[in-house]
Amino acid sequence: MKLRGTVAAALASAGILLAGWQAGTQAGGTSTVGSSTTAAGTTGSTGTGSFGRGSSGAGSTGTGSSGSPDSSASGTYKGTAVQTRFGAVQVQITVTNGRITEVTPLQLTDTDGKSIQISNRAAPLLRSKVLAAQSADVQTVSGATVTSRAYLTSLQAAIDAANL
Amino acid sequence: MQQISDPGVPDTGGPVLKARTFECMGTVISLTLAADPLTERQPTSDEAAAVTAVVEVLFRDLDETFSLYRPDSEASMLARGELTLHEASEQMRERYAEAHEWRLRTEGAFTPERPDGVLDLSGLIKGHAIREAGVSLLALGRRDWCLNAGGDVLVSGSPRAGSAEPWNAGVVDPADRRTLITGYALGGISRHKALATSGSAERGEHIWRVGGGPGFVQVSVAAADIVTADVLATAIVSGGAPALDLAADRWDVAVLAVRSDGSMLATPGFQPG
Repeated sequence: MKLRGTVAAALASAGILLAGWQAGTQAGGTSTVGSSTTAAGTTGSTGTGSFGRGSSGAGSTGTGSSGSPDSSASGTYKGTAVQTRFGAVQVQITVTNGRITEVTPLQLTDTDGKSIQISNRAAPLLRSKVLAAQSADVQTVSGATVTSRAYLTSLQAAIDAANL
Repeated sequence: MQQISDPGVPDTGGPVLKARTFECMGTVISLTLAADPLTERQPTSDEAAAVTAVVEVLFRDLDETFSLYRPDSEASMLARGELTLHEASEQMRERYAEAHEWRLRTEGAFTPERPDGVLDLSGLIKGHAIREAGVSLLALGRRDWCLNAGGDVLVSGSPRAGSAEPWNAGVVDPADRRTLITGYALGGISRHKALATSGSAERGEHIWRVGGGPGFVQVSVAAADIVTADVLATAIVSGGAPALDLAADRWDVAVLAVRSDGSMLATPGFQPG
């Protein structure tokens, strides 16, 4: 694990944005790695090397596939931030058994430096952070299907009655 | 035309709306109309009643065909095996095909069959009815309205006709139906015109899922169209967190999911700020 951490740091300092290839078995083996993030337009590149034997490579995003499935490299690797015509891009990859299992955008900013929302993943929402809507401020109410009977005591019924 | 029920709202006040309701599909459907954008005139009771009647007929026709609570419906005949899908009406086969398409797209989280194998399109029919009603309302020349069928909402335009102001939809708290968790802007300049909410308690299912943590007791999905919102809300209740991730990745939707312990997950669209 310590070795992997060291290698990861070396990869990062070498400017490799994405990496994920066989460990040990193919010294000097070459595999193209990359992601299909919105950094389209930059050239794809190749990283060469194998874990534990030193590595080098130039990082950039492109498209490609990870190394062979039977290799055992695992870990999380951060790439360096790269300027693209869409803004700054930095990604993190998770490698499991030599395969890239996840590519996470860490940073994507537009030319004005504002970060761009590119993930639609759900995150915890704290009630204290949400200003509960007041029924007086809404024109309709969404809830799990109410029966005709339950409607009678619902907020929607009160809103409808106010607009009859 | 006679102008009825003018509440005397000042110019700076809230939007002038007129609502009508009817019962169908075991729930109550509310249609709310905003003032006419050309005349800025509030819809009269007659107008509201006439437009609502069109929507009501559409809902009743679909209910007569697709309700499993009606022994004489086509859906009940199919369920009893007295009719095969091959012999069924075109609209039955169309909805069945649509439901199957959704099953594939949601990787099985949404399904048109009950656990006992009986074809059950009820997860799709209400959304379909709302969608069709929306088409009819637009064909009738109505641009600014809000249709709410048992908590599933489709809007058009704005509550303040001719403006970009969205309709504000509240999302009910599953733990206390008299309060709202949050609100969501629909219509206006928002690309999302529909908001559907599904709950695990709707049909008495267990709220604890096999294979780990608590499931979602309530899921709200905002989307550009009501069928997508409705189907995905149902799929996420049944499929849990994996279905939520799938929906958030593949569709342009906003999702708010409430767990049984009251904690919530929300995609950026439902996050404050």
